[in-house]
Amino acid sequence: MSNETSADRSIGDVIEANPTTATGPRIGSTEAVFEPPGVIETNEMSVYYGAFRAVADVSLAFGKNQISALIGPSGCGKSTVLRSLNRMNDLIATARTEGEVHYHGQNIYADGVDPVEVRRTIGMVFQKPNPFPKSIFDNIAWGAKINGFKGSKIEMEDLVREALESAALWDEVKDKLNESGYSLSGGQQQRLCIARAIATKPDVILMDEPCSALDPIATLRIEELMLELKEDYSIIIVTHNMQQAARVSDKTAFFNVKLNDAGMRTGRLVEYSPTDQLFTSPREKDTEDYITGRFG
Amino acid sequence: MSIEAPERPKAPELFPGDEEYRRHLGGRRRKAVIFQMFCLAMLSLAVLSLATLLYTIINDSFGLVATVNENDPEEIVAGLGHDPEVTGLQDLSHDQLVGLLEANVSRGVGRRLEREQRFYEDRLVFESDATWAEICSSGGSPTGCTAGPRPHADVLQLVNERVVVPDVIASYPLVSSLLDPAGFEQEVTEEFEAGSFPDHDIEQVSIEWRAWFNPTFLTTPQNSTPEVAGIRTAILGSTWMVAITILFAVPVGLGAAIYLVEYARPTRLNEFIQTNINNLAGVPSIIYGMLGLAIFVRLLEPVTSGAVFTDGVPPSDNGRTVLAAGLTLGLLTLPVVIISAQEALKAVPDSLRHAGLALGATRWQTVRSQILPVALPGILTGTILAVARAVGETAPLIMVGAATFVTTDPTGPFSKFTALPIQIFQWTSRPQPEFHNIAAAASIALLLLLLTLNAVAVIVRNRYSRRAE
Amino acid sequence: MTAEPKIETDRGGRPFERRRRPGELVIRSFLFSCGVLSIAVTAGIVYELGKESLLFFQDERVGFLEFFTTSVWQPQVGGFGVWPLVLGTLYISLIAMLVAAPIGLAAAIYLSEYASQRVRGVFKPVLEVLVGIPTVVYGFFALTFMTPVLRSVFGANVVGFFNVASAGIVVGILIVPLISSLAEDSLRAVPDSLRQAAYALGASKLEVSTRVVVPAALSGIAAGFVIAMSRAVGETMVVTLAAGASPRNFTLGQDPLFGYVLNPFQGAQAMTGYVAITANGDLGYNTIDYNSIFAIGLTLFFITLGLNSVSRRFVKRFQQVYE
Repeated sequence: MSNETSADRSIGDVIEANPTTATGPRIGSTEAVFEPPGVIETNEMSVYYGAFRAVADVSLAFGKNQISALIGPSGCGKSTVLRSLNRMNDLIATARTEGEVHYHGQNIYADGVDPVEVRRTIGMVFQKPNPFPKSIFDNIAWGAKINGFKGSKIEMEDLVREALESAALWDEVKDKLNESGYSLSGGQQQRLCIARAIATKPDVILMDEPCSALDPIATLRIEELMLELKEDYSIIIVTHNMQQAARVSDKTAFFNVKLNDAGMRTGRLVEYSPTDQLFTSPREKDTEDYITGRFG
Repeated sequence: MSIEAPERPKAPELFPGDEEYRRHLGGRRRKAVIFQMFCLAMLSLAVLSLATLLYTIINDSFGLVATVNENDPEEIVAGLGHDPEVTGLQDLSHDQLVGLLEANVSRGVGRRLEREQRFYEDRLVFESDATWAEICSSGGSPTGCTAGPRPHADVLQLVNERVVVPDVIASYPLVSSLLDPAGFEQEVTEEFEAGSFPDHDIEQVSIEWRAWFNPTFLTTPQNSTPEVAGIRTAILGSTWMVAITILFAVPVGLGAAIYLVEYARPTRLNEFIQTNINNLAGVPSIIYGMLGLAIFVRLLEPVTSGAVFTDGVPPSDNGRTVLAAGLTLGLLTLPVVIISAQEALKAVPDSLRHAGLALGATRWQTVRSQILPVALPGILTGTILAVARAVGETAPLIMVGAATFVTTDPTGPFSKFTALPIQIFQWTSRPQPEFHNIAAAASIALLLLLLTLNAVAVIVRNRYSRRAE
Repeated sequence: MTAEPKIETDRGGRPFERRRRPGELVIRSFLFSCGVLSIAVTAGIVYELGKESLLFFQDERVGFLEFFTTSVWQPQVGGFGVWPLVLGTLYISLIAMLVAAPIGLAAAIYLSEYASQRVRGVFKPVLEVLVGIPTVVYGFFALTFMTPVLRSVFGANVVGFFNVASAGIVVGILIVPLISSLAEDSLRAVPDSLRQAAYALGASKLEVSTRVVVPAALSGIAAGFVIAMSRAVGETMVVTLAAGASPRNFTLGQDPLFGYVLNPFQGAQAMTGYVAITANGDLGYNTIDYNSIFAIGLTLFFITLGLNSVSRRFVKRFQQVYE
């Protein structure tokens, strides 16, 4: 990889340098579209905050063992969509979700579904690293204990080590597991949060702009981590950095926000395609305008 | 409905399977609900205790009483030629009341009352003019020589106390009086049959409603008989004390706060002063009382008794005066005033200070014209709240000697005095139930006073913060 | 020829100099003296308490060691052990904390984690009112409501007219707002991102509140507990009115522990109660009774000073983590 910063290169260069492993059709091919089974599928989903419709009629299918990216200008609702996938929007008193979100075929918004159970298998990493004010060890062990970890102390130690290794953090913290989570740098803290999330053995990991609070080197390490984690987990990430989406994701969804007649800014899904296709030959004009920097 | 994750091959033995998880989830959910209910219950318990406290006070302040009067007020009024349906004792003229006293009170008692405080400005009732002049010219003259004539409320109370001589033999709390008035009558009858009241005849007993807390209660002076006692003396005492407290604590407190916020550099001394003030705010009030006793009452007795200010006989024979109490309370409220004034001053944005100084103004000019006006509402609110706390303090006053029995209104900083909380304390300590009734009534008065002060503070805060926007 | 640098002058042609402003100096001195007055107050407290205590200990009837080691306080017959009074104070404060800690903490958790703005707007002022009621009114409440209730619940022969339990419970009610407001502030200061992280891991609200938020706010909560304890120790009116004027003299080893020494249903005079009652009566200035109240007062002063310092240390630790 050259020493130029990503900002100096165009999207097309990025795509060529990092061919994605999506199993979607290559540009110009005439193969039949082969969609992997959707781990999470949304069906005409809208999210309201009170009377304000933040995002409308989103229908998406996220693939298993894939990295799917949600991009778009600020205010387009991509974070709202992400948070609706594990019912984190429930924590906001005025939030309301219409439509359906299916996880392995079951609607997680159906009556009687406990959000706690949903979050057991769909984990989340946040924009700003937020480790608990506990030791590094306890940060990771806590989630496991909450979810009913049955093993012995030795097995817990193995679990913590496994999680830290998967998050590429083990070597750096193995000698200071009892120190506070706050004693780590920003990038390390974020990897700690990733380790914390995977310690509960989720199926899907949602990441809400995981690198926006980090420096470029830390960002790079997290992106490498994501590509490794893809083998065991399905990852859905929100990012405002198009190059990042181009580097890591298999499929990308572009959201846009338009002022409608009532004066409300509601976000909508514009296009959802394999990443290289979206960035080299987008179907919609809005998408093309966005990725070429005409707005956003 | 449940969410199933189809394949979970990762470490199946370490984490519960779906079945087990769901079982635990039900328990976790139940625990969460119980916890929330528990927290709400605790919160409600706190509210409930407040309600119970207010209920207790109000319950004891109103209700049915069984009274035996030595002389029935209605008979007295009728005897003077008025219609008892229309006129009450309180409507009689000053002359009529004094006449009643003359007729019913022994000469010795009458003289003693007159020496405490005269009945008329221009003539004497129980004493001859010659004797009076003789008493007043010698040393140690009684208070009646210098004090003004007794006000109407006082004479009325005397008539009540010495002519009517009411004796409340039983009382019923408010709620029981409302729900079961007949039960009270029955109780009194039973008591009589059991022989609890050998001195009285059941015929003389009248059962009537009594509001122990009423406007007369506020204007009547202190008295050792609970049926006729009022809290005027105490209210005036508290007022005098609070005035002295404010005069002392506000300038000094504000000065200290201005110094600490505007002038003080972070030296060791200034930090020590700040820590010291924070410490003082947490010292129990009784220790301030001890300080007041040792310094203001004992050490500074010449000042607090007024001896320093007068050549001849000092206004008070010891230092247990309103002045000593006011200064003690001033010391008590000083840290609170300083801290709240500091908060108000710190809330003023630095840009104002910089603007003033940049124009070439001195620090004091900046403070006086720019900072203080902006911080004033906050300072005012803090002061009012500090004063409200001081009004309710009892322990320091006990130490400084407000416990002495006082019947005359305080006339100046060197008067002996009593205060509202002290009255409540004294009356609560007495075993007779009527004292508890007037203690409850006095508590209502005190709470109303505090409510007013707090309301004023809130109004001041809101009005000025609105103006700032 | 070298040009001399031109000296700046003000309009009057004089060079800028520090103008002597006597007015400023006077004002500054006055303000400074106000600040120093506060030190004088503390010095006064320590000096007066110390001086009279010294007189107390110098009296031949009183032994310094005896004061701190014996457990009979009966000045009329020469008993000057401080432990009965300390026992009274600590026992009442302990009962008060047992009452106030769960109520205050649970109320704070509810207001911070569960309640909506509206509910909080209703309940917070109510708690503020609790702290504004004068303690003498609480004393009245203890005597006329709490004691009769305890006597009817546990029996009039079990519960004495003066008892520690009644005073303790009412002092507990009095200090609930101290705990709840400090605890609530600490809980709300915990950043929301921590709660979100915990929810995202699949935790229920109970688990988030008790296993993440409360531990994170612990030093602030602890500060509240200690402040409340200090307040309970210094409380005078409730204990004077409800706990009685008899010190609970005891001899360890001889008196039954649960039947007498730790019996909550009998009266026990507290340190503050002793000082108030003694000062309330006829008090000559140089009597041993007069001096004794200062010795007790000095003990009380140091206890509350210690508690307040501990509390401030907790607050500082809390601020370090979050600010």
